[in-house]
Amino acid sequence: MAHVFSLAGKHALVTGATTPLARALAVALAEAGANVSVTTTRDQRAEEVLANSILNECWAAAGVSGHAKTLDLADPNAVEGAISALERDVAPIDILVNATHEANVKPALEATLEDWRTEVDRNATTVFVACQAAGRRMVARGHGRIINLVSVVHDRAVPNCALFSASQAAVLGLTRTLGIEWGRGDAAVLPRVTVNALGLGFYDGVAGPQGDEQLHAILERYIPLRRLGQPADVQGAVVYLASDATNYVQGELLMVDGAIASHA
Amino acid sequence: MGVLDRFDLTGQVAIVTGAGTGLGREFARSLAGAGCDIVGVGRRGEPIEAIGEEIRATGRRFLAAGGTDVTDSAQVNAMVARAIAELGRVDILVNNAGGGGAGRGKTLPELTDEDWHQGIDTNLTSAFYCARAVVSHMVERGGGRIINVSSAWGYRGGRNNFMYPVSKGGILQLTKALAITYAHDNIRATCISPGMFPRAGDPERAAALAQVLPAGRAGLPHEIGPLALFLASPASDYLSGSAVIMDGGVVPAGVTPAGVVPRAEG
Repeated sequence: MAHVFSLAGKHALVTGATTPLARALAVALAEAGANVSVTTTRDQRAEEVLANSILNECWAAAGVSGHAKTLDLADPNAVEGAISALERDVAPIDILVNATHEANVKPALEATLEDWRTEVDRNATTVFVACQAAGRRMVARGHGRIINLVSVVHDRAVPNCALFSASQAAVLGLTRTLGIEWGRGDAAVLPRVTVNALGLGFYDGVAGPQGDEQLHAILERYIPLRRLGQPADVQGAVVYLASDATNYVQGELLMVDGAIASHA
Repeated sequence: MGVLDRFDLTGQVAIVTGAGTGLGREFARSLAGAGCDIVGVGRRGEPIEAIGEEIRATGRRFLAAGGTDVTDSAQVNAMVARAIAELGRVDILVNNAGGGGAGRGKTLPELTDEDWHQGIDTNLTSAFYCARAVVSHMVERGGGRIINVSSAWGYRGGRNNFMYPVSKGGILQLTKALAITYAHDNIRATCISPGMFPRAGDPERAAALAQVLPAGRAGLPHEIGPLALFLASPASDYLSGSAVIMDGGVVPAGVTPAGVVPRAEG
């Protein structure tokens, strides 16, 4: 019998796949049987090297195929071109994981309008652009999975994280609404388009406040599970959300945060 | 080890309350399918025997605890003691038992003390009794997982609907308190929040729900089983305190699931 969470035969695209967290997400999807393609966040040589190394790890872990694309995720034409090429050269995209996740830590009084636009662009606009390009095709086919990363900071105030917090709330609002807008289909057709968020607490290997050593130590004491999340901690959740076992999970936020959001 | 290998419960033991019917039966099936032995708890004996027969046929052990009233702490304590004595350990508790009937639709002055206590005790007090009964054993064993079952009603209110949303909201808070209190003992507490999952064999109800639910259909009981497996397994090792919703978008869409579609301008 096939494993209930198997992704065999599916094609997954992980965008912004140049961070340790994105690497763990891509490798998990590959281990679960999906062919995995990845994109960079920016059109840069260093990102291209990272994206290819992640693809190689997927290949080594599971022998799956896929392509790496170097592009600027905020450029709708580049994203449309890359998704079109991936669907032609690999397979239709069944699973889209938007893994861009960067925090600009700065007092709100010092942030410029340019800082605001940059933060919203890289964390939220990129997600909208990729959701629209891949989602248009998924809606036409009647099935697909979209998973967006959302930080706990969308719901909790952390000083000097106003820009990042706003960008994360934007992604969650987008996620919930796309789920409702795209999820209604023929009741007899079970596999449909679902759009959900994978919620993160404070993780090692993620840029942001947890990079500060002193804060890191405080967080280790404060997080109920007494450790920061590791990239491997998101792997089970992304496979769960990407699988056929979640046809009835729509517009939801699945928090994987070591119980930090349960605190007062 | 591949990620799919983490969705495994081989050699573990789970207590599932309300295991004879509905979603509880699906939780028991999914956990057993991943290699877990099951203690099936229910008020009535017959449904428990039926799921027990099915699970034993797959090679897993099944301890039938039919005739157990989970709103009676003495019976709960006895059930847990028997589970530990006969199966040797309890790794997982699924607090699924519950019911929505008592007093629904009555106005506040019409509600009796009995209505209130029945609703709260069945859905909330039972989870407290079961968690209290297993937690020391889990601490001694070095860990465990407690999975509570709330509802989309845990997040939203309804007219003349008191005990059910109150008890299900309480389940969300019980989950957080358990998660924070026992994190250091390697016990994870999580919550499953189902939307509308009408019982099989009620097509009229399912058709009526399809008209108003954002997904255009109600949930199918077998769809929710794997969620319990995910939350019980090492695949969710960093997940605690969270409520995981499976409702086809009922909570995100709120009270405007169907028909409220603002028109595009221009």
